[in-house]
Amino acid sequence: MDITKYEKIFAQESDKYLKELDDLLMQVEKDLSNLALWAEIHGKIHSIKGMARALSLNKISDLCHLMEDWSLTFQKGTINSSPDAVQALFDSSDFLRYLVSKKGSIETFEDQKLYSSLISKFEKNPSELTKTGSPTQKDQTTNLYQSSALTIDHVKIKYSFIEELLGLTQEIQLLAKNFPTFSDNQMTSGLKNWIDHYATLMKVLYFKLTQLRLMNVGDFADLFLKSIRNIAKESNKSVNIEIIGSEIQADITLLERLREPMIHIFRNCIAHGIEPAEERTNTGKPANGKITIETRSEKENLFIKIRDDGRGINKSSIIQYLKEKQSMDDEDIGRMSEEELYNTILSPDFSSSAKTTELSGRGIGMNVVAQSIDYLGGSLSISSEIGKGTEFTIKLPLSLSIIYAIVFSIGKYNLAIPTLYVESISNIDASSDEDITSYYNIKNFIGEEDNKKNSYNVLNLKYFNNQAAIIGNQPTLHFIVDSIIGNRPLMVLPTGELMSGIKLFSGIGIMENGDVTLLLDIDKLPSQNQ
Amino acid sequence: MKLFVFKSKDKYIGIESEYIYRIIDDYKVTPVCLTPKCYAGLIFYRGELFDVINIKLLLGSSEYSESAYDELIQNQRIIIVKWHNKKLAVIPDEIIGMIWIDGDFEGLSIYHHEDKNINLITPDYIWKKLLELSYGYH
Repeated sequence: MDITKYEKIFAQESDKYLKELDDLLMQVEKDLSNLALWAEIHGKIHSIKGMARALSLNKISDLCHLMEDWSLTFQKGTINSSPDAVQALFDSSDFLRYLVSKKGSIETFEDQKLYSSLISKFEKNPSELTKTGSPTQKDQTTNLYQSSALTIDHVKIKYSFIEELLGLTQEIQLLAKNFPTFSDNQMTSGLKNWIDHYATLMKVLYFKLTQLRLMNVGDFADLFLKSIRNIAKESNKSVNIEIIGSEIQADITLLERLREPMIHIFRNCIAHGIEPAEERTNTGKPANGKITIETRSEKENLFIKIRDDGRGINKSSIIQYLKEKQSMDDEDIGRMSEEELYNTILSPDFSSSAKTTELSGRGIGMNVVAQSIDYLGGSLSISSEIGKGTEFTIKLPLSLSIIYAIVFSIGKYNLAIPTLYVESISNIDASSDEDITSYYNIKNFIGEEDNKKNSYNVLNLKYFNNQAAIIGNQPTLHFIVDSIIGNRPLMVLPTGELMSGIKLFSGIGIMENGDVTLLLDIDKLPSQNQ
Repeated sequence: MKLFVFKSKDKYIGIESEYIYRIIDDYKVTPVCLTPKCYAGLIFYRGELFDVINIKLLLGSSEYSESAYDELIQNQRIIIVKWHNKKLAVIPDEIIGMIWIDGDFEGLSIYHHEDKNINLITPDYIWKKLLELSYGYH
């Protein structure tokens, strides 16, 4: 098991819970007898304790355990809380933050002393707090941890401001294109070097600025927590949410356009996937349902998986639909893969025609969801297991990520293939006896004239599984191009709504100089005979 | 209400000016294969990608044999249109300018101005026409 991955998740989650804990403590400080706030405080501490226990971070879980005891006492109203008790919890929250940053270990004698004093404080009954010494005076040592927490390392700026900066840098770059002409004696080598250096720095600045448009996918998933809670409440259900793999970054504009489709999926999971509490407990499941949002990146794609632990999709209803509405027989259906079978739900007429079946809820609007993901150049697929749950997988081009690609031209078109797929680049002499028919030539297909040449540049593509385009039994595809521009870093943007119909492209690449190139999806290359 | 007017072949076309984002010229258009004739290509302007459409070819594509990319001229002026969540770059034959009209032109299809018949269109109309066309291969 890769423990560092879980430690990272723990650090991120704890940071979030501790921030929320501080907010709640600030609220309860003004309303000490608010039992609901104490219940929430209890919940936050409990969550940190649970995660720390799972990772055997005993110092953290022990302190949380004692803090939890106090919060529970206040939550029940058996003992009234006091400003001193709240201060003690604030101090512990600061110290927990320090412990999380040190992965639960205490390095100095001073810190150990402080830890022991906090533990002994919480071991007492909270009502005793005011009787001992002067607890309103905050422990001096905790200031250390608090001051480090106040360091400003993040600032909030408007997205439109980033757009403005990007626009300005691009305009400065454009100025370079209209550079005034100098005579030879005016343009000294020193001046030329200075201009080149300036232009290079501008390009780097622009590239860095584009990365400001990236957003942490985990933060994006966080935006849904409240919506999920509200939807669950509407359906009279209770749902726990788990977010896995929050460190991946993607373009804000892409994520923004995913918001609606994702809400739709959550609505489906809660309304039709997750069973009512009673049904769940009867089948041995926890009363609360669970929705997991998992993100990961693979090659130039971003995968977002939304999983529920509900009742799953009844296959027999899909089969019934295929037989009745699509006139398919058992043999046809038997040939379909699991994925194809479940993806039937995404077909446009499924929802309306299945209205009377128990599956109807799953279909409503799912074709619209699939369509909007399709517009972003992505795809949606479904898998399910009866009684265990359903998983929706959204696959998207990892927009605005920087990838390396071999940029080349064919006729008037500027195209690119990710360097990852290019094993080598070679040159063939067509005037010799070499058999040109064993090479893949896309020219005619894209409407360019295929004039005979004496020599060709060839990209030899590896990891090639596209059966349609394969020639003979060759493991590599020898892809003919007119000229090679080079191996370039590209900022990848999704193809827009109009271009999404051209399945040949996986994205649009922007080169450092602002030139545009079309990224070919090698899995979608057509057969040579097309 | 302000109307932005441009010429496409012998027709005057007007779009509500609030949708006009920028007018740019001398901008490199990257051609895209497997697109309809009216689709000139893509431009990357101020951090955003725009589909570039030749309006003349979109509204009367059957009359022309050349593709929009091949029609491009030097210092071509391009109108960038942004509306709702959509965006588009449009190539006109000639930019006429802005005119002020009284009231609303909702429901109107032609507006008469100084001996000119201006065909009023919305960006949504252009978009709808574009979606009717075929992209890619089958």
